[in-house]
Amino acid sequence: MLLAYVLLGALLFVLGLVGFITRRNLIIMFLCTEMMFQGIIINLVAFGRYPLTGTPSFDGQVFALFLIAVAAAEAALALALVVLLHRHRATLDAGAWTLLKDE
Amino acid sequence: MSGLLILFLVLGAIGLFLAMPGGRGRTARAGLILLAAAGATLIAAATRLLAPQPGLGVFVGGALVALFAAVRVITHKRPVYSALYFVLLIVAVAALLVQMQAEFLAAALVIIYAGAILVTYIFVIMLAQQARPAPYDLNARDPLLGCLAGFVLLWVMAGQLFGGSAAAQPPAGGASSAGTVEAVGTSLLTTYIVAVQLIGLLLLAALVGAIAIARRRPSEPAREGED
Repeated sequence: MLLAYVLLGALLFVLGLVGFITRRNLIIMFLCTEMMFQGIIINLVAFGRYPLTGTPSFDGQVFALFLIAVAAAEAALALALVVLLHRHRATLDAGAWTLLKDE
Repeated sequence: MSGLLILFLVLGAIGLFLAMPGGRGRTARAGLILLAAAGATLIAAATRLLAPQPGLGVFVGGALVALFAAVRVITHKRPVYSALYFVLLIVAVAALLVQMQAEFLAAALVIIYAGAILVTYIFVIMLAQQARPAPYDLNARDPLLGCLAGFVLLWVMAGQLFGGSAAAQPPAGGASSAGTVEAVGTSLLTTYIVAVQLIGLLLLAALVGAIAIARRRPSEPAREGED
């Protein structure tokens, strides 16, 4: 059962990664990072529930809770940045912000 | 790695590439059909690889709903629908967490993600929404490269999972006691008390930072020492 959950976590992570690479909308890109978080949460809880050695523990759930808190902080800051960028130029296109790009 | 899994990975990668928004409206439907075929392959692989046990149906159903929602998040042309499909993904993940006896975490996930974070996302999307789908939403950036990178990464991970020594089934853990909330809360407030306080500090810093960033006017240059 552990392998199935870990594979599902990997699938969600990779789907989020593909979305982050391919989508141009800044908000969708941040949604994709949240999707990667979901894959990791499933991984953490699965490893806590079906440990390789020893008895099941709740540490995985505690780590997942911390992960949710960090994701909330990240979402707040990222959305604040998106709002600021959208005020500068009325677009959400990630390609419009190439000032920091390496030539 | 079994042939079914390889078939699933290949079908999924091709279907995802075809379903990506990219000005090819015709291929999106074919991509979704291929992805459905990949889902059927996944069901076949799950019934082949996993021993029948209670809860397997919930796992397969939740996993399929989660994967469907995840694919729609990254392929839908309208950001609002992407966010709503993300809510569906959260609900499916919460069901899987309940299946793993993480009831408190499932409730927290639904409340925090679907209730708070996603509402913020939808607010911002509505704020920046345009009447018609924007051109940058209609065209993916290098969908072939993106799908290829994801496929290779997934190939490596699945190969490690199902080919390495970890393929040996771990001993089935004994059923943990009832009262997960109590156990998690005790662990949180004894072993991890410092981490809990640090997280509180982090959230406060993020709150202050978000307000400081978002209230700055674009016209006036950032002055140091103020704001």
